[in-house]
Amino acid sequence: MLKPYLAFAKKNFLNRSAYRFNHFIGIVNTLLRIFIFWCIYDALYGSRTEVDGITMAMVTTNFVLSIGMDAMFSIDDYYLSGRISNGSIANELLLPISFKGRMLFENLGNSMFQLVFHFVPALIVAALTVGFLPPVSLPMFLLFLISTILGYGVLWTISFAMQMFAFWLINVWSMVTIKNVFINVLSGSMIPLWFMPEWLKPVLDVLPFSSIYFTPVQIYLGQLTYGEIAYKCGIQGFWIVVIWLFGNLLWSRGKKKLVVQGG
Amino acid sequence: MNDAIHMIGVYTKTIMKSWFQYKVDAVLRSLAVFLRESTGIIVVYFTLLKFDTLNGWNINEMLFLFSLLFVTYGILILFFTGLRDFSGTVRSGNFDRFILRPRGLLFQIIFVNADWFAAIGHGGLGILLFVLSAGKVGVVWTPANIIYYLFAIAGGVLIQGAIFLFLATLNIYLLETGSLKEVFYWNARKFAGYPISIFHKVIQAGMIYVVPFAFVNYFPAQFLLRKEDMAAYPEIYLYLTPVVGVGMYLLAYLFWRVSLKHYKSSGN
Amino acid sequence: MSGKEGYIEVKNVSKRFKVNKRANGIPGMIANMFRPKFEYKHAVNDISFSIKQGEMIGFIGPNGAGKSTTIKMLSGILYPDSGEIVVNGYKPYEDRKEYVGNIGVVFGQKSQLQWDLPVIDSFELLKAIYRIPEDKYKKNLERFTEMLDMSGFINQPVRQLSLGQRMRADIVAALLHSPQIVFFDEPTIGVDVVGKETIRNFIRELNKEDNITMIFTTHDMQDIEKVCDRLIIIDKGSKIYDGKLLGIREKYGTTRQLDVEFVENYDVAPIEKVTIQELDELDGRKKRFIFENREVQIDELMNTLLSGYAIRDINISEPEIESLIRKIYNGEVS
Repeated sequence: MLKPYLAFAKKNFLNRSAYRFNHFIGIVNTLLRIFIFWCIYDALYGSRTEVDGITMAMVTTNFVLSIGMDAMFSIDDYYLSGRISNGSIANELLLPISFKGRMLFENLGNSMFQLVFHFVPALIVAALTVGFLPPVSLPMFLLFLISTILGYGVLWTISFAMQMFAFWLINVWSMVTIKNVFINVLSGSMIPLWFMPEWLKPVLDVLPFSSIYFTPVQIYLGQLTYGEIAYKCGIQGFWIVVIWLFGNLLWSRGKKKLVVQGG
Repeated sequence: MNDAIHMIGVYTKTIMKSWFQYKVDAVLRSLAVFLRESTGIIVVYFTLLKFDTLNGWNINEMLFLFSLLFVTYGILILFFTGLRDFSGTVRSGNFDRFILRPRGLLFQIIFVNADWFAAIGHGGLGILLFVLSAGKVGVVWTPANIIYYLFAIAGGVLIQGAIFLFLATLNIYLLETGSLKEVFYWNARKFAGYPISIFHKVIQAGMIYVVPFAFVNYFPAQFLLRKEDMAAYPEIYLYLTPVVGVGMYLLAYLFWRVSLKHYKSSGN
Repeated sequence: MSGKEGYIEVKNVSKRFKVNKRANGIPGMIANMFRPKFEYKHAVNDISFSIKQGEMIGFIGPNGAGKSTTIKMLSGILYPDSGEIVVNGYKPYEDRKEYVGNIGVVFGQKSQLQWDLPVIDSFELLKAIYRIPEDKYKKNLERFTEMLDMSGFINQPVRQLSLGQRMRADIVAALLHSPQIVFFDEPTIGVDVVGKETIRNFIRELNKEDNITMIFTTHDMQDIEKVCDRLIIIDKGSKIYDGKLLGIREKYGTTRQLDVEFVENYDVAPIEKVTIQELDELDGRKKRFIFENREVQIDELMNTLLSGYAIRDINISEPEIESLIRKIYNGEVS
């Protein structure tokens, strides 16, 4: 059943190595992003050891993990729109495999490649330079892994649902860009959510963005009790289901539109 | 000359027409650029709500620093989008087509692609930030300061244009330069949003001597603001922006001319 | 048809590319990431030829033979590594701006039209780019639109056109400025039979009426037979044939091949005047029988096969360019 999808994942994994030079620079790029934020917070903290109970090491860990995860997930936001604008979608829908499944597994292939050849090397360099905290305990680390996978699920479904607008707009660059603004500001990858103004925190809790990177980071740092973890992971699962259903609704409507147009 | 202006007009009309084929997206495009570029500023705003100052720079001074970056980019992108996107032009074979047409290559690269929406998004943000901050940072806008400001903007545009041209030229040798561009332009530009004095010496040197973004906004802002952290750098740097701009652009142009012979075309 | 001799002169031209040698599988991928291996590939190796004004040249060869590279050097996109190209007094790669106003290039695989805009908008853009005077533009546009029957779709966005329609529009786009030399790189690829015929007739007519020099690359032997006067064949970067099409058509046009899928991998007994080839397909069950039309009766051959062996499928065709090239190597055509 899964075999053709795994083949797609493997194909993408292998394809990624073609642009070797590009890849190495990509790692440098991730490290620089981490480093910039480290420098900024180093200057902001100055001689202080902690702000609101948050140490500089915790801030660094937040950036290393969330920027690293961002690079690892490497979602292709233009998977569908590219195929719609060049017309190949019509043929691909005729294949006896699920288009959505293929979309997911091609991305997973990319993400696996990024995990091995991007995330891990970047993590090692970060550990040797700016340093970051080890996980508080093994159970927490395992829960962190689970939450990271769920975080990937939230990010992927958001992208998936967003991409469906390509059926109507064809060119979704603007929508994708605006989506990324929300993710960048509200997910904790550019400003640790601890430092957000108090009035904004309840809003962040009801939006899906904080569950992408910040929830796994909080688990990793041991900031949450088991009860809170269950709740937060539940929220992650909730968003995956809700956004997936929404995306699917758009998918089935969009596909009809494609048929009406004659492909 | 008239012929060139006519040609620019026809190219621009074609770009506009193409983009308005997708109406919703065309309207959203400027907004998207505006929001995307605001991201860094929103982040700084929230951060300074918590921490007050960054190495002595308050929020208004930070916004002023940012405004120089965006105003220059807004002008830049009207002329250099094609260089920014040059790797795609090579890969798709469109550069072959440019060679086959009796017009200057740089002329075509520049005017076939002018990104008006990005220009409005960036430039608009730059002007907004300038208006918000220029009155609150204690700068007296004397004629001398205004002239300095205009030269600094021109120099800043040329510096970034030279970086684009240099990176575009590399596409003639390398198949894929997206990441190189990411590091040497986009990431350097991310550093440039902040006073360079907060960074490690190596990065500071990079921002001054390698990808000289410091001359795009930090030194011009320092000329007008005179913050304490300027003490670490030679006074002369406050005046060098236009020189660096012209010098870099000439070098990049030379590199471009020499490299064209090595163009390999795609699909071989 | 008469015209200047040596209108296009190509002398000892070579071009090589550096290519990355990639190993297979995940270990190969990792090895390649850290220690890429490169080798030089001669795309074009010491090629010379001379073309008269107004000639219609078929330029053929298998994939990767160096056709596109040669066309790109002739049109000024690529610099040759060595050798010299002179076209109508210009060196394409050095006198680019003056030179390209005299040529038109159609890449079958790569449209020069504005994808999202009506065809006519692309034409208007080209009018400005080539500085085409209004009256000449109007005259050319009317004439070509009529000849290629384009009035039905000239106001439609390019993205809505069929491949054949798009190709016709692309051909007109390359001709609006009245070039004296036109390069066609696979101009019929992917186009249906009727569309191909329209395009061929148009090219033929234009070559005759306007005395335009044309160079034509294709995979389709029909294109060559119906359109070209002279044939240049290249293989692995070298020229292996240059001459009239007529001689080749006589010999080549009579060869047939019969692809047979047997039920088992038989040892087929030799048949007089028929060459039997093993095809690396279906575990050797598929074989190819090549013969001359005038020497072997096809029904007799099929009878022989059907009576001797169990057969699943039969397919008869004219041989491809590859087999023509083999003949040239074997000295059967010269």
